[in-house]
Amino acid sequence: MNRRTTLLLAAEALAWWCALAALWLVLISTVDTLERVVGASVAGVAALAATAARRVVSAR
Amino acid sequence: MADAVIVVVLLLVGATATTAVAVRDPERQALVLSVLGVVLAVLFTVLQAPDVGLSQLAVGSALTPLLLLLTVRKVRRRAQDKGRQE
Amino acid sequence: MNGWILAATVALGTGLGTALWGVATGPLRRRVVAQNMSTALACPALLLLSQGYARPSYVDLALVLALLGPVGTLVFARLLADDLADDPPRAWGVTWVVAGFGAVVVGAVCAATGPSPEMVKLLVIGALLIGGNVLASRALSGGFPGAGRG
Repeated sequence: MNRRTTLLLAAEALAWWCALAALWLVLISTVDTLERVVGASVAGVAALAATAARRVVSAR
Repeated sequence: MADAVIVVVLLLVGATATTAVAVRDPERQALVLSVLGVVLAVLFTVLQAPDVGLSQLAVGSALTPLLLLLTVRKVRRRAQDKGRQE
Repeated sequence: MNGWILAATVALGTGLGTALWGVATGPLRRRVVAQNMSTALACPALLLLSQGYARPSYVDLALVLALLGPVGTLVFARLLADDLADDPPRAWGVTWVVAGFGAVVVGAVCAATGPSPEMVKLLVIGALLIGGNVLASRALSGGFPGAGRG
């Protein structure tokens, strides 16, 4: 894995994180600090999983 | 008059459950069963129990038909293998 | 009893009644299409009920159904692929009619809600509903060759 693919992967994970965090903020009813922290961390985990899953699928 | 929706959904549940019993082929029965899951979830919503409806949706719409179809498939494969050996 | 619940009652009675009749009779290809239509009709009905009872949290049921309904249809499309390959179901007319009904309901509930995060949530549900419905119909009619291996 060279530097370019690493950068691309990081950009993809960041895009996933933005989309998933926005989805979380839309779906909850009351927005406060705790919800933001939980949403940001959960969106991070999900973004990593989505990036890994897409890599596996496109490598097939 | 406000109970009309409850009556309609109860009738639907009764009709769907009767159909699920009357259909004999397991694959077609799985199709009716998944419709029954959705109708039951609507019934729970109409009776003001959305939490029960939520779990009913999660189980009834995808999980029950999946388990049924996988079981049918496995049983058929085993029957075919047996037929080949004999 | 207000107009929303009345509309939900009519949609449930006619739509799910028709879907039940379709799933109980006829060849296998019509039955899988009717099963797909039953989830695609129940989701807008749940939205109408949530608006009629004035309980915005009931919208979560429609969200879960919009996600899991197409998943259930994809299960059938995958595991009944051998039986459906001989005469694949082609029901694009019904699919687009039901999708249009879902779009109308989502639009009406959005107009009643007004601009807010709830409206964005409703639009997400509408996109999931219509997208998932069309995807499931395509999978049923054999639109993804190579996906039925194994």
